[in-house]
Amino acid sequence: MQCEQIAELLPDYLQDSLPAEQHKQVEAHLTACAQCSEEVALWQKLSLVPFEQPGPESRARFEAMLHAFQAGRSEQSGAHLEERKRASFWSAFNWFRSPLGAVAWSVALLLLGAFIGLRLNGSASRTPELAAMHSELTNMRQLVVLSMLQQQSASERLQGVSWSRREEQLDPQVLAALMHTLRYDNSVDVRLAALDALSRHGRQPQVHKGIADALQEQQSPLVQVALIDQLLEWRDPDAAQRLKNLRQTPDLNPTVRQRADWAISKLN
Amino acid sequence: MLQVRDGAGEQLGVLFDRYHAPLYNFYAKLTGDRVLSEDLVQEVFLRILKYRRSYSPGTPFRAWIYQIARNARIDHYRRTPRQVPFNPDMLPPVPPKDSAQAGQEAALLHSALMQLPEEKREILLLSRFQELKYEEIAHLLGCELATVKSRIHRAMLHLRDVYRQLEQSTASKKAKTATADFIPPQGGSHAV
Repeated sequence: MQCEQIAELLPDYLQDSLPAEQHKQVEAHLTACAQCSEEVALWQKLSLVPFEQPGPESRARFEAMLHAFQAGRSEQSGAHLEERKRASFWSAFNWFRSPLGAVAWSVALLLLGAFIGLRLNGSASRTPELAAMHSELTNMRQLVVLSMLQQQSASERLQGVSWSRREEQLDPQVLAALMHTLRYDNSVDVRLAALDALSRHGRQPQVHKGIADALQEQQSPLVQVALIDQLLEWRDPDAAQRLKNLRQTPDLNPTVRQRADWAISKLN
Repeated sequence: MLQVRDGAGEQLGVLFDRYHAPLYNFYAKLTGDRVLSEDLVQEVFLRILKYRRSYSPGTPFRAWIYQIARNARIDHYRRTPRQVPFNPDMLPPVPPKDSAQAGQEAALLHSALMQLPEEKREILLLSRFQELKYEEIAHLLGCELATVKSRIHRAMLHLRDVYRQLEQSTASKKAKTATADFIPPQGGSHAV
């Protein structure tokens, strides 16, 4: 056998997963070919490179993170990366610099002024004013979400998505931005978080349709599986047909196909 | 994992015990930065908690956890791009001259591995050190099985070349030192 033919078999030989016949052929070639046998020898020598061991504090950090997560404080967990801590601290101020942030900031100052004015006047018509203020605050928070979803860094966009969860009702513009994030964001984590946030607004037809449409476009198996689960949870009337269409996609990840089959069987 | 997915947080401890050392080894060899590796391992387990519901039964778990590990590293470098280009001399502990041959070979191999481009180093780490099956790696990298095998072969050829070069340069350094030791000092007491 020539080296090129052996090259195709070598990776399986290295993991010891060749059928006996081919195994023998490779061994015969190795005794005659210095180049190929050097590759095998090097593979075996790699076992000499020592295993890197984590430090003893690793377990304690993990316990702290788990504890924080279970206490519902995962977002501010001390177990986050140091860099993330710094990044998230500054990212809280970064949005001030963007045009939307500037608008939000101005509205906040205006509202603060209005609030102080109201307090000083002791006006009788406090309730409608307070309601108006509340609605302005909600708008402002939604502007912040929109601004954060535009950020370069995935962790800031992730934070934007998690901010959106604080609102019971979302503005159509914010919903559209979340839907855009679900479809086109570069980070799988951000897309998954956007799906999670949107799933709470599934009663709105455009959200429902947006999520169902995203199924066909997603490439990441993790997001595809999450979308399948979501459709199954909603018992969407079109779900079975959409899943069947998905199954027809060439090169579909086998796990996703398996999940789609499982969901179809549940739907029927 | 299914118990973790369904909300049994304490079960994550079992996963941690099983996977944190291999993950740390993977990151340390891939990035050459031990502190960052510790941080990334913690980030992986935080992400498992956050995204545990996206794990579907029947998915190869090791492929899933390494997928999270790769994403965590990619996201990290997106947030904080590497300031200093990686210096291969920085990581491996240089063995003393008189240490055993195996120790020297290990150090040379480590150096050679760290000099490979990252994607080649990664695939060798996954297949050789993390002992993932080629099918799992194909699943993880989202490519065909045949592509994984040919990438492994190319990575091994590259490693062989780098290793040879390092061996030669070490041998020539040794030869120089040996000659230097042998030459008597100029103008020394031997002239008397």
